[in-house]
Amino acid sequence: MSFVDPSDLGLLPTFRRLLRLWRDQWRLGVFGLACSLAYTLISTAIPVLIQQAIDRSIVHHAQPLWPYLAIIAGLAALRAVVNFNRRYATARIGVRIEARMRELLYQAYLRYPRGFYDRHPTGQVLSRATNDLYPIRYFIGWGFVQGMQSLMMITAAAVVLTVVDARLALYTAVAMPPITVLALRFARRVAPISRQVQERKGDVTEAADEAVVGIEMVQTFGREDDVRGRFGEKAEGVRSTVLRQAGVESRHLPGLYYLPALSIAAVLFFGGRQVIGGHLSIGQFVLFETLLLQLVWPLEALGWITNLAQRALASAGRSFAWLEGIEALPEPARPRRLPAGRLDVRFERVSFAYGGEADVLHDLDLTIEPGEIVAVCGPTGAGKTSLLNLLPRFYDPTAGRVRLGGVDARDVPIAELRASVALVTQRPVLFSVPLRENLTAGREEADWDEVLAACRAAGVDSFGPSLPEGYETLIGERGVNLSGGQRQRVALARALVTGARVVVLDDPLSAVDTFTERQLVARLRPALAGRTVLVATQRLSTVWIADRAVVLLDGRIVESGRPAELVRAGGPFATLFGDEVVAA
Amino acid sequence: MRRLGRYLEGRKLTAALMVLVGAGNAAAQTGGWLLVRNAIDKGITADNEHHLTIVVAIYLGVAAAGWFLQAMLIRGLATIGQAIVIGLRRDLFDHLTGLSLRYFSQQKAGWIIARLTSDVDAVSDVLSQGMPTLVSNVMLLPAAVTALLIADWRLGIVSLAVLPPALALSRWFQRVSHAANVEQRNRIAAVTAQIAESVAGMAVVQAFNRERRFQAEFDALNEANRAQSTYVQKIFSVFFPSIEFLGVLAMVAVLYVGSHLYAQDTLTIGTLITAIYLLQLVFQPLQELSDVYGQLQSAGAAMVKIASILDEEPEIRDRPGAKPLPRLSGDLDIDSVVFAYGKDPVLHGVSFRVPPGGCFALVGESGHGKSTLARLIGRHYDPDEGAVRVDHHDLRDVQLRSYRRQLGVVLQDPFLFSGTIASNIRFAKPDATDEEVQAAAAAVGVDRVAARLSGGLEHEVREGGAGLSSGERQLISIARALLADPRILVLDEATSNIDRPTEVLIERALDRLLAGRTSIIIAHRLSTVRRAEKILVVEHGRIVQRGAERDLLSEDGVFRRLAHTLEGGDETEFAAAG
Ligand SMILES: Nc1ncnc2c1ncn2[C@@H]1O[C@H](COP(=O)(O)OP(=O)(O)O)[C@@H](O)[C@H]1O
Ligand SMILES: Nc1ncnc2c1ncn2[C@@H]1O[C@H](COP(=O)(O)OP(=O)(O)O)[C@@H](O)[C@H]1O
Ligand SMILES: [Mg+2]
Ligand SMILES: [Mg+2]
Repeated sequence: MSFVDPSDLGLLPTFRRLLRLWRDQWRLGVFGLACSLAYTLISTAIPVLIQQAIDRSIVHHAQPLWPYLAIIAGLAALRAVVNFNRRYATARIGVRIEARMRELLYQAYLRYPRGFYDRHPTGQVLSRATNDLYPIRYFIGWGFVQGMQSLMMITAAAVVLTVVDARLALYTAVAMPPITVLALRFARRVAPISRQVQERKGDVTEAADEAVVGIEMVQTFGREDDVRGRFGEKAEGVRSTVLRQAGVESRHLPGLYYLPALSIAAVLFFGGRQVIGGHLSIGQFVLFETLLLQLVWPLEALGWITNLAQRALASAGRSFAWLEGIEALPEPARPRRLPAGRLDVRFERVSFAYGGEADVLHDLDLTIEPGEIVAVCGPTGAGKTSLLNLLPRFYDPTAGRVRLGGVDARDVPIAELRASVALVTQRPVLFSVPLRENLTAGREEADWDEVLAACRAAGVDSFGPSLPEGYETLIGERGVNLSGGQRQRVALARALVTGARVVVLDDPLSAVDTFTERQLVARLRPALAGRTVLVATQRLSTVWIADRAVVLLDGRIVESGRPAELVRAGGPFATLFGDEVVAA
Repeated sequence: MRRLGRYLEGRKLTAALMVLVGAGNAAAQTGGWLLVRNAIDKGITADNEHHLTIVVAIYLGVAAAGWFLQAMLIRGLATIGQAIVIGLRRDLFDHLTGLSLRYFSQQKAGWIIARLTSDVDAVSDVLSQGMPTLVSNVMLLPAAVTALLIADWRLGIVSLAVLPPALALSRWFQRVSHAANVEQRNRIAAVTAQIAESVAGMAVVQAFNRERRFQAEFDALNEANRAQSTYVQKIFSVFFPSIEFLGVLAMVAVLYVGSHLYAQDTLTIGTLITAIYLLQLVFQPLQELSDVYGQLQSAGAAMVKIASILDEEPEIRDRPGAKPLPRLSGDLDIDSVVFAYGKDPVLHGVSFRVPPGGCFALVGESGHGKSTLARLIGRHYDPDEGAVRVDHHDLRDVQLRSYRRQLGVVLQDPFLFSGTIASNIRFAKPDATDEEVQAAAAAVGVDRVAARLSGGLEHEVREGGAGLSSGERQLISIARALLADPRILVLDEATSNIDRPTEVLIERALDRLLAGRTSIIIAHRLSTVRRAEKILVVEHGRIVQRGAERDLLSEDGVFRRLAHTLEGGDETEFAAAG
């Protein structure tokens, strides 16, 4: 177990938490239960009235029939109102709790550290906040109260039957033990299978997500058949588990449905004899049968509900495990503010490893003076991105510390830290909102003139206005309707707009042509003036922007100095840029 | 729903059998009550205990038969239902993977995924859980009505009096709940899409302190979904109790009329009592049917959404009579190609021809159409005017698959699948041996990367390639293209995140392994494009210059401007900095 992958919560703790959510809705809950009780009472009263009507008004004409019928109709109308309220109230609880759980999960998602997303595929994260919540909703929004009502109905029927004829009531109970056994057995058998069904569905989601996101790759290599095969296997997995579930259902559900026939037969047989013997009125006989008939569904429902309860608890157990077991990035206990003015950045004896793996950064020291621009160079996989990601605290160093303006990054409130550090990720991420909103994502209140200035500095001005709707053009998900270099420039402008004092650029111009790059390098210097900048790059032409370059090799800094000097020195830096240096 | 019938092919017999079984099951239930009538009239009121015993025995026998039939029904219908579901899911997925890139760039990923998962699940639920209820109750309803009429036609007609309002109510319910359910599907899809997009872009959401904003957007969608769910539940909550109420009214009417008939001695007490029970059998299916109806409704709504994908015509697909391509020699001819994503063309008449085995480079400012050209070469889009030809075959006339199998493309932003590094390299050629995979990995330096990682080439790669650096992802995708042994290779800024020495290593490998193959290189580093025989300069969707590096440098044009960055200018810049 790790802090990003906690194991599911047990039944009892899950139940307690669900109960707590339910208690938030206690008014509706109590109302629903009260309606259930009223429903049960009316539903028991109606057969009793029918019995009286048959005995007193139809068989013997002791009393007129119409008052009975009027009362029955009246009660039925009342029951309809009660029933509406019960259903609606409980359904609302379910819907609300579903929405609440989803909200809690999403809230948590927004706070989870990167390590969490490194470990869990999008499809899984997605399905936990959607499909996985349905059993919870059905259990709370229907199962729980329906279960209580079933119990009430059974109790009420038992009481009435016992009062009318205790011995016959006992005979009719003949079907109860097998029904109970069958219902419990059904619940026990079906629960693990329905959990599997749920898991298999998760697999399908994952496979679907991957294929949809990676579609260009799939089509390019003509590998549709493979992913189809893969997906087909997952779909087949769902099918076979659903069929196994149907097998279990077919062995239990019909029994639950037809076993009450035993009781009805018992009433026919024993009750019938008693009627013949004159110990039981025909009306009472009817009462027995009617009440028994009314119990068929509540009994059947009990089996379903136990199953549903187990699934709901399993789903909720998983969700709560995430909600409680995964630590969001810890806020400092005693927060310190960043000093005003320019900030320096110091990496002090920083080591870093991704969860459980070998160190990526080793005991690294690096100081960036206030307002200095430092380029981080190094071969693929040297740890540049990892180093840069420590600044906005995507990860915390495993040893040593990162200081901004003398304050340990971990002591600064996260929001303040991130507001002071603007980041351009190596793979630019844009959202499906208009270009303008993408640009102002880091500072919504930014002046449009400032935004335009940032656009000029980042080179967005060369294509933004000529997009179909200019700056109002809707950007496709993941920025699909922009070219790679355009996406990078938007991400760069977005970072500039924030006005943050520290700017972290991870290979920000790798997809930009050399000509534009050259222009940008010239324009960026003034735009970045006064800010402390860390820029990782693979291109010599981008290194120019920097006052100083450091070379990172296997997580260690092996060389540092002015770019021009490094070129001349002929050390690792010169090797790294190879013939580019020769060209220069 | 008619679409679903298609998947019944080959299972018609089972389906027919299930209809019979369903009818038998319904007969068993109603027949049971007719037996009860018999027991009351001929046994109880006739004081005939012997007859009573016999009828009870038969009754139990009928119940046992019903039990058996229902078990068959559940199992049989599940088999049919799941056959339909898997057929649907596969077809939907197959169809999706055949849709062209334009479709995917216009839809949100979360939206599409919701179709494949929750929508198909909705159909599945109805088929596996709803169907048994549906079939048995659809049978039960007429069976109960018939039994009622057989028991006593006068009582039957009296109780049928409430059917018109019941049916009217059902119609109303169907109409309202259908609309409500479709809307519900839309709203949950919006929620799904929001979660999917924020999870995918979480790094940026967090880095820019966007959590509040995203939370607010989400809350609005979540709330809209909740409100709609509540509304749907409300409709249901109105419907069921009303039906139940109508059932009691019918019973009251039957009791009233029955009491008169009984007084006139034209009705036995057994028939009256049985009529009451049979009435329950009429209304119970109405209720249960409507219960299933809810499921049916959402399944119907889901099918509407699914159909919207299935009806989407793939923009790019084999024309009837398209020919499979033989092994290509690699002659690539881009002939006066005009292309627009939307209204405004991105490419305005681009022409060039790469001879077999030739190596051309495309350079130019970003956003001027290089990747678009690469996509046209991969036939992810068709040109609006002009043609792309390989070995003199217009791409539109050949079997797409046979072409793409001979094509290797490394994308600007490579996508890795979850699995291992080895399985990703093997992606383009699943039957490659371990040695081949290792050779491809070694050729471009993936082996050195792998050596650093736990498990080497068997190192786990997570979805999208998370857990690797961008350069490493690019290396792996180049190895993947190499292993595919393509006749035509397109490298779209394939080495942009890779350091120059590694890139040199890759170039050597390409030269060695792809000798005689046609290749197109899109790159910005001058040192990278220098390898090409001919350099094409793309500007505003046109080729404005072409030729060998030396010639282009001697011309006064765009290329010089691009090249100037590295030549000459540097020293002064460095000097200024120093
Ligand atoms: N999320 C991650 N989980 C585990 N390992 C990672 C992760 N991201 C990167 N790595 C590994 O850490 C090393 C350094 O990666 P990175 O900092 O991205 O390199 P680069 O210098 O190319 O930016 C690489 O070997 C890479 O495989
Ligand atoms: N899917 C798309 N939908 C609409 N416009 C697009 C799409 N992809 C790219 N474009 C536009 O087409 C132009 C050319 O893009 P592209 O070919 O990717 O350029 P590059 O030369 O940088 O590779 C750009 O202006 C971009 O905005
Ligand atoms: Mg990197
Ligand atoms: Mg491009």
